[in-house]
Amino acid sequence: MNTLGIILKQTLEARNIKCLLRKNNSGEDYVCIELDSFDETMLLIKNQQLLRLTAMWAAEDFEDHCGFTLFYVFENYNVPELLALEVRLKDKRAPSIALDFPVACYFEREIKDGFGIEFEGAFDTRRLFLHEVYPDSFHPLLKSFKNQALDLNHEEPKGTEYIFKEVAGEGIYQIPVGPVHAGIIEPGHFRFGAIGETIFNMEIRHFYKHRGLEKLAENRNPADCVVIAESISGDESVANATAYAMTIEKINECIIPARAWQLRTVLLEMERIYSHLGDMAGMQVDVAYPVGASMLFILREEILRYNALMTGSRFSKGIITPGGLQRDIGTEKLKDFKVYLSDFKSRFEEALKTACDSSWVIDRFDTTGIVKQELVSPLNLSGPIARASGATIDTRRSHPYGIYNKVKLSLPSKIEGDVLARFMIKAAEIKNSADIINGIIDDLYEGPFLSQCSNDDGYSLTVVEAPRGQNLHWVYVKNGVIDRYKVRTASFCNWFAIEHAVIGNIVPDFPVINKSMNLSYAGNDL
Amino acid sequence: MIIDLLRNFFGKKIAQDFDPELAEFRKIGFELKRHIDNIFSRSIAIREVDSGSDNAAEIELNNLGTPHYDIERFGLSFVASPRHADIIVITGAVTHNMALAVKKTFEAMPQPGFVIAVGDDACDGGIYKDSYAVLGGADKILPVDIKIPGNPPTPLQIMKGLLALMEAIKKQKPR
Repeated sequence: MNTLGIILKQTLEARNIKCLLRKNNSGEDYVCIELDSFDETMLLIKNQQLLRLTAMWAAEDFEDHCGFTLFYVFENYNVPELLALEVRLKDKRAPSIALDFPVACYFEREIKDGFGIEFEGAFDTRRLFLHEVYPDSFHPLLKSFKNQALDLNHEEPKGTEYIFKEVAGEGIYQIPVGPVHAGIIEPGHFRFGAIGETIFNMEIRHFYKHRGLEKLAENRNPADCVVIAESISGDESVANATAYAMTIEKINECIIPARAWQLRTVLLEMERIYSHLGDMAGMQVDVAYPVGASMLFILREEILRYNALMTGSRFSKGIITPGGLQRDIGTEKLKDFKVYLSDFKSRFEEALKTACDSSWVIDRFDTTGIVKQELVSPLNLSGPIARASGATIDTRRSHPYGIYNKVKLSLPSKIEGDVLARFMIKAAEIKNSADIINGIIDDLYEGPFLSQCSNDDGYSLTVVEAPRGQNLHWVYVKNGVIDRYKVRTASFCNWFAIEHAVIGNIVPDFPVINKSMNLSYAGNDL
Repeated sequence: MIIDLLRNFFGKKIAQDFDPELAEFRKIGFELKRHIDNIFSRSIAIREVDSGSDNAAEIELNNLGTPHYDIERFGLSFVASPRHADIIVITGAVTHNMALAVKKTFEAMPQPGFVIAVGDDACDGGIYKDSYAVLGGADKILPVDIKIPGNPPTPLQIMKGLLALMEAIKKQKPR
């Protein structure tokens, strides 16, 4: 079967458009086009219904090109290979594609902040991750800026003021929420426009937690950056560390021992279990049903303790490394965990039944916060949100990595798109993850858990399915150090969904809608 | 119903003591309660502010309220507003985007109030120390009374930190 890159190359050549196809050993195709043929190429891609824009980023002085290179990654969930369209810019201007691919709006604003590249024709040119406190001329990802502590005036910010969308009319009022929220959660700003109790508009402003992770990785040895990947989002640390490690392994063509992949998969699925358990419990807390929530919180705490028992960290930090694992996990411990899992499953069923038997839980969940199926592709939604809205997509199936093509993966899917659908999808995924772990422990390889990974130059792209959805990592190693590290977590795109899902709902339902999506602030803000 | 009752008495308990850590947790908890009874007249209110963490520390703070730990029995509670708080718990290195909000939150807390930094990055900036986007640890903008290091600290370590704060307060102002 032809890959996306070959198909695009053939289509472009049939129209006399010059392009260059490079195949990377890690499975993605890079198609390099001229800026002159950009509009025509984008129109061709736009007409391909199955292709969705999944990420976009810029790099300075990439390979032999002096200046900026833009990357547009497209994905078709029926084709394993990803397509990266590469556009080399002559100056700091590029055409905007946000009108055709709505998800590009955030990406373009991100690139504008990072590098100062202007997107012509963009409908939203406000700054994104740099707030007012940073001067307008500051672009941290430029190579001319050396990473260092800045002395900024927080009381009298230098940057242009951020303008929110204005809503006005009789009986309409705005509710600003955040960045400091009432619960123990991360900071972010929500601005509701409401008529009475009903929300008719919501605008999100994030990036309060912007820590500059991408710049932080630059000029470091690839082996030292696993900690940066782990701190993208604390409860996705295994997924991000694995994705990062895989990227480095692909650059170095490093083969991972079978046992290491089995243990990684166990940890990845454990992460999915505890993450989903926390969401399902939180959703019940938000509808004032602590009995059901407590049962799930108990289970989650036990999984966190098994994490600590196996890896030394309750969030399984510091075990994954390029080449395999830092330490082995004893087979005895895994066997113990398997015994625990059979007990876990019956108790989980009981907790699920408790929730489903309570009419007020179901009443609050049902038809609340609907994400429409037609939003999934244009907004690049992934993970349980997409699967609850009728899309049977999962990175573990469409772009299998590690041993995921060998495990028994069930893909739960629902079409309702409401809070209840997401609740049930997460429940089904927990059961499936437990089955996957069981299967692996039954069939465990003995042997090495770490192989030697060299330190070559190159670049590679990896996608993994974290509990929240698809995470994408791209690393470019030049002269033995990281030159550019790009991360796009699932939450970066999935945050769009909530702006649509809350419309027509009442303000008090916002917390449960938010919890049902479990969007990461840290993973979004980087 | 009688069967349910009997099952509850003799059947398998759902919340079991999982490891010796929990016994230690309980011991520290009651010691903490004694101090809280003496210094704060039986209860303290904590306001959590995230200034740029990776969310793991928040999860652990949330876990303190779940059935295994249930710190409300020791007189500790997390409150929704700094105006109700005796203690501000700050997690994460302070980002430039968040600095003003953190300062305002602290100013809204009635005095005397205390500040605890939870996690490596809140203590001294952690891995973000050299980044353009952060100021550094929480002590760059707030008077931090006690630091609880860890990536993230476990619930037990957080409790130990709270106990250390109580002991420090007691030394300051003998009652």
